[in-house]
Amino acid sequence: MSAIRVLVVEDDPAIAGQICHGLMARGYATDLAASGEAAFKACTGGQFDAIVLDRMLPDTHGVELLGRLREAGPVPAVLMLSALGSVEDRVEGLVAGADDYLAKPFDMSELSARLVAICRRGGRKTEDKAEDNSELGGDLTVGRLRLESASHRATFGTEAIELNRKQFSLMAYLMRHADKIVTRAMLIENVWAYSFDPATNIVESNLSRLRTRLQVLGCDPIETRRGEGYVLRADLCK
Amino acid sequence: MQVSTALPATPPRIGRLAVQVGLAFALAMGVAGGIAFLAARYQLMQEADDALAHESRKLILKGYPNDSATLAKRVIDRRAQKILASRGHIVYGPDGRLLADGLDIPPLPDGYAETIYRDHSRKWHQGRALSLRLPDGGRLVIVEHSEVDATMREMMLIGLIALIVVGGLAGVTAAWVLTRQIAQRLDLSVGAADAIAQGDLSRRISLDGLDGIFATQAGSLNHMLDRMEQMVRSQRQFASHLAHDLRTPLTRLRGLLQAEAEAHAADRPLLDKAERECRSIIAIFDSLLRLSEIEAGRRPTAMAPLALDEAILDVAETMEPVIADAGSRLALAPLPPATVLADAGLVQQLLVNLLDNIALHTPAGTQASVALAVERHEATITIADNGPGILPPERERVVRPYESGGATRRDKSMGSGLGLAIAQAIMRFHNGALELVDNRPGLMVRLRFPVSS
Repeated sequence: MSAIRVLVVEDDPAIAGQICHGLMARGYATDLAASGEAAFKACTGGQFDAIVLDRMLPDTHGVELLGRLREAGPVPAVLMLSALGSVEDRVEGLVAGADDYLAKPFDMSELSARLVAICRRGGRKTEDKAEDNSELGGDLTVGRLRLESASHRATFGTEAIELNRKQFSLMAYLMRHADKIVTRAMLIENVWAYSFDPATNIVESNLSRLRTRLQVLGCDPIETRRGEGYVLRADLCK
Repeated sequence: MQVSTALPATPPRIGRLAVQVGLAFALAMGVAGGIAFLAARYQLMQEADDALAHESRKLILKGYPNDSATLAKRVIDRRAQKILASRGHIVYGPDGRLLADGLDIPPLPDGYAETIYRDHSRKWHQGRALSLRLPDGGRLVIVEHSEVDATMREMMLIGLIALIVVGGLAGVTAAWVLTRQIAQRLDLSVGAADAIAQGDLSRRISLDGLDGIFATQAGSLNHMLDRMEQMVRSQRQFASHLAHDLRTPLTRLRGLLQAEAEAHAADRPLLDKAERECRSIIAIFDSLLRLSEIEAGRRPTAMAPLALDEAILDVAETMEPVIADAGSRLALAPLPPATVLADAGLVQQLLVNLLDNIALHTPAGTQASVALAVERHEATITIADNGPGILPPERERVVRPYESGGATRRDKSMGSGLGLAIAQAIMRFHNGALELVDNRPGLMVRLRFPVSS
């Protein structure tokens, strides 16, 4: 399998260097564009799986560039970067069609995890493992692990446990992203929908509670990756 | 510590002013009435005196003998000529003997005087008298009956009372109408001032229907508000621009530290520490940005009916494991249903912040509880713990930005020190109040939300 190709659109050389270096170290193939014009050319000319797009560019605005790219043709997954961390800016970025939004400063592992999560190619990898009918009000399945959305029950073989609402949402998100790293910030945004950063580690506490519950079930597929995030391993659900 | 809440909407009160103005009016009317009465009376007296002088000239004739005997005759003649019902004449001889007519009258001094007299009807009357000494030592007294004067005296009391009562009523009414008009005009500014106190700096006093000093005053208040809004906005902009502008260099710094940490495993502890510091600076900027965002009220569209009981349940579910991991316990009292107009995201942050505080700033073994009470106009969330609490002088300090509980903090790198300041800003945003109360022992945080009917 060839590496995921990412176009990094960032005018600050130091930050652009860090991103490219960090992504290459994680096995991505990266191209750099320092302006909106360069990004437009690069994007219409080459094939990318994802774009890391800075919101403020010297010649244009990230939101405008995204609009132009959409007019020109299909656009790969877009992760918007910004020095503006307010709720409004995040919403504006997502409304403009970005798949995710990340405020500066950020961890490289955070950026990488989010790229994997939004990447079309990355998304297909786990399709055979996680059966996701949750959008239709159905159940989620990874291996023998099953999450029933109507009853908020998790079952593994013949065992069953009931989860509270938060544990259920957490479990569902992890199952939907099985075998991919999900970061603490991704969970805060998507499971809790908090637009702020809690002072305590609510993710860790709730995950450890969830894992205690899962141990009752006899299936504990969640792994903590130090400094990176959490992974629900599909192979541990067999 | 209490954050000012919305002022109760009371109709404009006029107070004692109307009564005071009424009394002043009544007094003025009384004095004016008295003066008018005295003037009228003086006028009538003058007229009576003129009549008396005229009569005396008819009786005391120049160039003729004017002794008492002659005058007595003249009086009798004159009385025979016409009936002078309202006038009486008395002539005394030089020896004091009564020579003509017979009015019963007390002795009088020379000249004009007020007197009483009794005629044939044996009734006492009031009158004006002119007493003249005659050349032979006799005396002529002419009495003018003044019924008008007597009536006036009787009427004076009634008239004065009527004047005072009417004056008082008119005064109260006039003052009431005037003050009401003033109050209505001032009420416009009161409404604007209240809105501004609640953080709506965009409110201005409408100049419609205002004139004179009221229009001038409203205009200058509006001008002041323009300036204030501008100043507050630029201050907030400064804060958020500072936070924004520092993000880029912080991003570089953090990236460098991470790269270094990866490259030089030996120096990791130091680099990790530097990176943690970097993270906490970012946390402070995020909170600062958030605070200015809330204070600026930039999210009015997010306001919607929110079930507080469900919001509490949701946050408590999340925070219970966190508090349990800190070695403490979170209990939830039965929650009555309560719906308030709120920004769900901000209420979430409010509750998480306060429960974060319990996890971070109280020792293991602390018992914490969350309760909800609903009254007619208010829903109150109470978050209480039996931890070390906050001393009264500290309570006011901790809700101000950049000051936190201090002594009980376990980890200096945790939290931005803006938690309670943000909580307070959120309550202010909802026109509510945040109160820190002694829980004996521990701290009780009361969050009072107005319930719109």
